Formats: sequence, structure tokens, C-alpha cells
Amino acid sequence: MIRIPLYLAVAQWALLAALGVLVVVMFRQLGRLLSGSGRPASLGPAVGSQAGALGYARPGDDTVRRLSPGDGQPALVAFVDPTCPSCEQLVGVLDEAMAAGDLAGLRVLLLISDPPSYLQISDAFRSTRLEVGRPADREGLSSYRVTATPLLVAIDGAGVVRAAGPVTRAAEVRGFARSCLPEVPESTMAVIPAASARGRQPDESQKARRET
Amino acid sequence: MALMVLGAKAGLAVLLLTAGGAKLADLSGFAATMRLFVPDFATQPVLRAAALGIALGELAVGAASLSSPGLGWVNAAVLAICCGFLAVSAVGYAWHRDRPCRCFGAMSKRTFNAAGLGRSALLAACAGLAEMPVRPSLIQLGVAGRLALLAGAVLVAGAACTAAAAVAAGRDTAPGWA
Repeated sequence: MIRIPLYLAVAQWALLAALGVLVVVMFRQLGRLLSGSGRPASLGPAVGSQAGALGYARPGDDTVRRLSPGDGQPALVAFVDPTCPSCEQLVGVLDEAMAAGDLAGLRVLLLISDPPSYLQISDAFRSTRLEVGRPADREGLSSYRVTATPLLVAIDGAGVVRAAGPVTRAAEVRGFARSCLPEVPESTMAVIPAASARGRQPDESQKARRET
Repeated sequence: MALMVLGAKAGLAVLLLTAGGAKLADLSGFAATMRLFVPDFATQPVLRAAALGIALGELAVGAASLSSPGLGWVNAAVLAICCGFLAVSAVGYAWHRDRPCRCFGAMSKRTFNAAGLGRSALLAACAGLAEMPVRPSLIQLGVAGRLALLAGAVLVAGAACTAAAAVAAGRDTAPGWA
């Protein structure tokens, strides 16, 4: 008769229990996926949707400030955390873009969920000159669907989301900035009444054209 | 008593395998948690390498403990790891309360709190219990038995990694933004 050591029997049960728990976890995920409730949520608000208002407080300041999309000022809102390496990259890129003047006319807000003291563990967050805030309440936050960080959301002056996604590169950030700024025509054509134009001196280009 | 000692030994080994496998599925997340406990100069590649090292270390010690229960140094290593868990839980509870601990990667939403500290203390107590000597005949395994347990260890680690990846892919809110 074969004798099984007690340890082998105990270890088999332990392995079986662990496998059972893991199989339950996987089947639960599978069930959620098949029923539709577990489908991976899309990151960020839908483009074209109205951005929600947010209350936030700056680190070390209890005053609750408001981000009110639709107040006429386009905004770039970055959901980032000092403990997230890609977020540090995004903060660095935003800082550089701001210094280069690429974000002129935009309000840039970095929102963090980590405690304010965590800003000290990251060079990028410690040295940023951009406005940093922490959501003061959960109201309005759900509309941004922060399923992962970093998340950058571009909001135009009317409060409409123009772009949203996990960007970290300078070119992408510039694209986001352009998407929420009002379009500027490349060349301006002035309409001058014929009567007033007749009395004016010809300019240099007109002279040159006549000479040819 | 022997049953409790062997149960603690096998249970801890399986727990280490599960934790190590789950961490492998989300090394970046675990590296982010590690960042809370290391000096500022630790760069991201270093943190990621350390996270990988910890996950592989848990897997190695778990597999060795499961398949070679008679090795004294493995029991000591398990006890040291569990004491490490307790120390990290205590520091996390004191300085980073309610932040995600990612002890099981994305599979668990547990945070540094009093319950986590209690669980770590329980694990350390179990590791102490597993150090107690038992009759050698109870833990004497043949080659086939060891191989079967190693195969089980690989299966559990793989299942933990897959389950953690599946949970991470289906999560609807990033930790901290719920």
C-alpha cells in the first residue's frame, strides 16, 4: 500500500484552494465581460461631450477652487499622480510646453489623487510651475472617467471636450492644445471699400506688379 | 499540532506564489507602491527591477518552500519575508494610510490600514509556527511528489498572473480616483 506523507496531502489541498479562488476570480471577470458590465471602461470623457465642473484645493490651501468648463477659457486638465512614472513624464512635457509658449491662452490644471505630501517624492511634481490641485469632492469627477493615469483632457472655451487620452509626448500635448484653442485663420483678407481704396497710395507690391 | 504546522507551511508557500505571480502582471503598479518606501534617488528602472526581483523572489521562495518543506533555510526565508510584510504594513499604516498596497497586484484593492496590519501580523505568526519541528516522516517527499508540487506551484503562479491581468484590464477606475 502506498503511503502519502501528510505534508503532501496538506500541500495539495492548499494548492487546490488557491487554484479554486483564482478560477473564481477569473470566472467572475469573464462573467462581467460577457454580461457587458465588466467591459474595460474607456479612458476619459467622450470627445464632444460637455465637461463637468470640478472643485479642487491646492496643496496646503483649504480654499476650494472651481474648474468651470464653459466659462470662455479653454483648459487642459491632466489627471496625474506623483507615484505614476508616466504622469511625471506628462508633467515634464506640459512644463516644457508652457515654457515654450505652446500653451498660451490655456488654463492648465494638474489634478492629483495622492496626498499632497507625495508631491515631494517626484522631481517633476516638486519643480512644476503649473497649477496643482486635488479634487475637493467626488462630484463631477465620474464624468471624466479616470480609469487610468495619466489622462489629459482638452476642453474648449464652450466647455466641450475636444480630446482626451493618455498622452505623454510633446507632439501629442501640442495637438491637444491646438484642439481646444479657437481656430485662427492662416491669412486675413481685408475688404476695403472701392472709394477709399481709390484715393490711397499704391503699396510696394502694387508698384512692383505694375513695373512687370 | 503537526497538521497546523504543515498547514501554515503549505499555506504560506501558496500565498507567496499567488502574490508573486500577481505582482508579475503589474510591475509598474507595484513599483509605484515601492516608491513610497524608498529614497528619492531611486529611478524608475531601478524600482522596476526591484519590483521584478521581489516578485521573482516570492515565487522562488514559495516554490522552494512548497516542494522542499524540510529545508531549514527556506523556513527562515519565509519568516524573514513575512516579517518584512509586517514592517511594510506598519510603515504603510503610519505614513501612507489608505493608499493601495498592491500586495496581490491589481487583483486586490486592499490598502494600508489596520486590517492589513493585522493580516501581516497573522502571516508572521504563521511563519513562526511553520518553523516548529515536525516528525521527518511527515515531510519526507519523493522525487515524484516534489515534481508534482513544483508543477502545482507553476500552475498557481500562472493562474495568479492571469487573474491579476484580467482584473486590471476590467477595472473601471484607477486606484485613488474612485
